[in-house]
Amino acid sequence: MDFFAKIAWIIPLVPLISFLVLMTLGRGFRKAGVWIGSIGALGAFVLSLLVLTERLKPHAVDYSYNFSWISIGEYSLRIGFEITNLTALMLVVVTLVGLLVNIYSAGYMASDERITVFYSYVSLFTFSMLGLVLSDNLLSFYLFWELVGVCSFLLVGFWYARPAARAAAKKAFIVTRIGDAGLLLAILVLFWNMPGHALDFTMIESVFGGQGGVITSGITTLIALLLFLGAVGKSGQFPLHVWLPDAMEGPTPISALIHAATMVAAGVFLIARTFPIFEASPAAMETVAYVGAFTAIFAAVIALAQNDLKRILAYSTISQLGYMMLALGLGAMTGAIFHLFTHAFFKALLFLAAGSVIHAVHTGDIREMGGIGSRMRITAWTFAIGALALAGIPPLSGFWSKDAILTAALTQNPLLFTVGLLTGFCTALYMTRLFVLVFLGKSGSAAAHAKESPRVMTIPLIMLAVFAAVAGFVDLPWSGWLSTWLSDEVITPHASIVVIVLSIAAGVLGIGTGWLLYGRGKTTSRSIANWMPGLVKVAERKFYIDELYEILFVKSLRVVGICLAAIDTYIIGGVVKLTGAAASAAGRLGLRLQNGQVQTYGVAAVLGVVAIALVVIGRRMLS
Amino acid sequence: MLSSYLTLAAILFCIGLYGTLAKRNAIIVLLSLELMLNAVNLNLIAFSKYGAIPSLTGQLFSIFTITVAAAEAAIAVAILIALFRARGTVLVDAFNRMRR
Amino acid sequence: MFNVNITGEYVVFFIFATIIIGGAVLMISLEKVVHMVISMAAAFLGLAGMYVLLDAEFVAFVQVLIYAGAVSILMIFGIMMTKHNGEAAEPVKPLHETLAVIGALCLFGLLFYAIRASDFQSTAAFHPGEDNTLAIGELLFTGYIVPFELLSILLTVAFIGAIALAKKEAE
Repeated sequence: MDFFAKIAWIIPLVPLISFLVLMTLGRGFRKAGVWIGSIGALGAFVLSLLVLTERLKPHAVDYSYNFSWISIGEYSLRIGFEITNLTALMLVVVTLVGLLVNIYSAGYMASDERITVFYSYVSLFTFSMLGLVLSDNLLSFYLFWELVGVCSFLLVGFWYARPAARAAAKKAFIVTRIGDAGLLLAILVLFWNMPGHALDFTMIESVFGGQGGVITSGITTLIALLLFLGAVGKSGQFPLHVWLPDAMEGPTPISALIHAATMVAAGVFLIARTFPIFEASPAAMETVAYVGAFTAIFAAVIALAQNDLKRILAYSTISQLGYMMLALGLGAMTGAIFHLFTHAFFKALLFLAAGSVIHAVHTGDIREMGGIGSRMRITAWTFAIGALALAGIPPLSGFWSKDAILTAALTQNPLLFTVGLLTGFCTALYMTRLFVLVFLGKSGSAAAHAKESPRVMTIPLIMLAVFAAVAGFVDLPWSGWLSTWLSDEVITPHASIVVIVLSIAAGVLGIGTGWLLYGRGKTTSRSIANWMPGLVKVAERKFYIDELYEILFVKSLRVVGICLAAIDTYIIGGVVKLTGAAASAAGRLGLRLQNGQVQTYGVAAVLGVVAIALVVIGRRMLS
Repeated sequence: MLSSYLTLAAILFCIGLYGTLAKRNAIIVLLSLELMLNAVNLNLIAFSKYGAIPSLTGQLFSIFTITVAAAEAAIAVAILIALFRARGTVLVDAFNRMRR
Repeated sequence: MFNVNITGEYVVFFIFATIIIGGAVLMISLEKVVHMVISMAAAFLGLAGMYVLLDAEFVAFVQVLIYAGAVSILMIFGIMMTKHNGEAAEPVKPLHETLAVIGALCLFGLLFYAIRASDFQSTAAFHPGEDNTLAIGELLFTGYIVPFELLSILLTVAFIGAIALAKKEAE
């Protein structure tokens, strides 16, 4: 019955094996490396798909298997894997995007010297991400959580010869570390407070969902907020969002896979997995909702003023992740997962299409592009589909998932609903600006020689475009199939005409405004800068967040560091050096004696004999 | 009379000791060593005549000592020549390493 | 303590002692190595005379043969084979030299103190025998035959060893 669920543990092992094989190959075997990586991804995808089809049967039972990993006295730490509807869905999303990115990279990275290394990193990432999804307890979850962080670090810094890539990799690693510390603390607090020190999700659900009052509300809120801190770091939420735009220094397929579709969604996934804890703490829920909403509108405004193609998409990702957080905070867990699901497709599509453009024009600056649409038709069309899906135009997928979130917002918190609508408007506006500046209008300076990318890159684009277009139909406002499947509850259809109308209006209005402002090359961003100089400047500088952090943390920490370094150098180091100097001085003294000159030894011996004789005689004379 | 001989031997011994310890030329060091051995011989023979139990044994001992000293001198000069070939000098402060 | 009556032995002792100490001091203080060896030979000869004074004619004879003859010649050979400039090198280690002098003087002081403090009382007269050489020879081949044979082995070993060491190494 649940055969494939039972062997689900094989799924992460497939990319792990291809990672190990690729690592042994080193830099050679460029063609074979591509095949090994892609076949690993394909194997994982096929298995995940089989698991999913099994789950689609009505009343499929959650399957979990664990074994004792560490036994300390009475306590035994168990790890294992768990297949639920949520994990099955995530498995398919991760492996599908991973597979398409693998295929796409064969074209995008073809001329790179270290393509085999690239594929090995991607395989390692796929393994870690799948392990994270399958984990049945927070501890192994945390393990894989760190592993995907490492992969992200490796891949952002893949072109380590560039200083910007190195800096971005370090920034990504250090900033997410703040969040990881939160997650670790959350796990520790949970460990001490859970009955039997259990850390598996099933126990968490029964303890927090049961309203048994096992854990006090204060502790619950603390745990929830710490977990949320972890999610904030990983999912690039305000105020830890600063690493994600810089992470775009990595290769574009990586931006699509890690920094759009999968890893950054891990934060959302974490909250979805531990959702009972959040549900038990209204304060934490509100925090999640407000932080998410603020991030959504904040990042969308920044995206309006950026000029780098991938950075705009990165801010868009932050904004959409904020949307998911908003949904989680409102209790619409299924809505958040639904948006994660659709967003994975259309944002991966947008990134891959952007990569196709960058591959053709060798720059990321949208001001130097323009008129590429006529030269790269497939890229332009698929990008358009992704952009429309993101902007929330029916019947593309983004509309339906946003609709689910906005409906939840309208019923609970009109303020958040307004913010969501505004974000939708901004999203449509910046996507229009992006599309117009890149694909339409006069030929830009860099766009003159643009050619359509090879088929190995365009086919993944087309496939993703299909998914981006139709993925929304799994959960229509009036049927709610996905929500029912995910939550195992019958969810009353929540169709709301008001939401649908307003949502479409926001999208269309955004596109219209964008067209008016940027269409036909009439206005450039400069003229808007004249229009409202302050706001554009501030948005262009990303609200000075990086500068603020520079002053607040980097500079002040550096001052502390300098003081500590001075103490280290002059006090501790001085003591150490003194010890060393004393030892070497004693050594030099000994060396003077041990100089190999027999005569020196002879003099010493004679003096010694004389001294001993004098002592003996002196004693005899005294006594 | 005995103490005069002993004092003479002590003077000889100390001159030999000084030469052994302070001279840099290996040949002179060897000569100083011989001087010290001679001082011992003088002691032995003086004791054989003026000692508590006068006997010929002292003279016999000094013959043994002379023999051993002769062998020692021969070996020492041979070693010195070998060292001179290796190092090109006979100054003792150059002989402070086991290898070249 | 020093109330010695001047006898013939004392005069001869004094003369020989002067020769010996003079030879030794010259050996230490001369500049040229060959001169040092010659002054040393003088000291050896003085010692031989001293042995005659001490009724040890055979030892005196051996002393002349081996020390004044063989060892001195050996040393001169050594000097010649090691290509000296004929001069002793200048002392470069004043501290070392000073310490050596202090050590030697202190030792002499100790020995002198010990000699002065001791009381050597002879209980019997010394009988060197009718023929000193015969007496020594008899003693050597009766009571001390084993050490004598051992010494012969030692001399052989030293002889071979010296040849082996000084021989030019095969190229």
